[in-house]
Amino acid sequence: MSQQTLADKVGVTRQTIFAIEKDKYSPSLEVAFKISNVFKVPLEEVFIYD
Amino acid sequence: MSMSYKEKSLIASLSATLLVFGWYFYQVFSNQMFNIGHEFTFNDIFRPIILIVVLEIIIQSFLAGKDKNKEDERDALIELTSYRNGYWVLSIGVWFLLIQLLYVGSGGWYDILENSSPAFIPHLLLLFFVLAEVTNFITQLYHYRKGI
Repeated sequence: MSQQTLADKVGVTRQTIFAIEKDKYSPSLEVAFKISNVFKVPLEEVFIYD
Repeated sequence: MSMSYKEKSLIASLSATLLVFGWYFYQVFSNQMFNIGHEFTFNDIFRPIILIVVLEIIIQSFLAGKDKNKEDERDALIELTSYRNGYWVLSIGVWFLLIQLLYVGSGGWYDILENSSPAFIPHLLLLFFVLAEVTNFITQLYHYRKGI
């Protein structure tokens, strides 16, 4: 899935998806849940707290 | 990573602000200090402000036509953080000016308003407004590049 497709499904910009991937931005819980819903996996499989 | 609409807009606004106000304050403060050429008045303040408003309208209409004008939570967070930094710069400037006003006529080395024209104080205030805006732009650009 491209960054733009994921961004469109979640309702953020492509730059925000890029920043999340590069660990330059921690998304809100709402966006984090939306991303996990897109991939149909639990939240803890997409995001790891460290 | 390609630049977003917000980053392009910030770089354009920062460049316009630095060019217009840089040139204007150079004229004002060189005249103030060396007493040469045109005597600046309060009404002169409106010239760069009108120029920057016109430039901003041109820049924003040009960029909006080329890219999607979409903002999300990251943009809002960066904007809030940057406005807070700009607010600190403006606060320091206003307090500095207020303290200077207390010492007008004291004749000490710290009395920078001594022998200055009445238009000097509003120009100094405008300078702090511009510095606050430049801080805001630079902080936003920093967070877009380095993360928040």
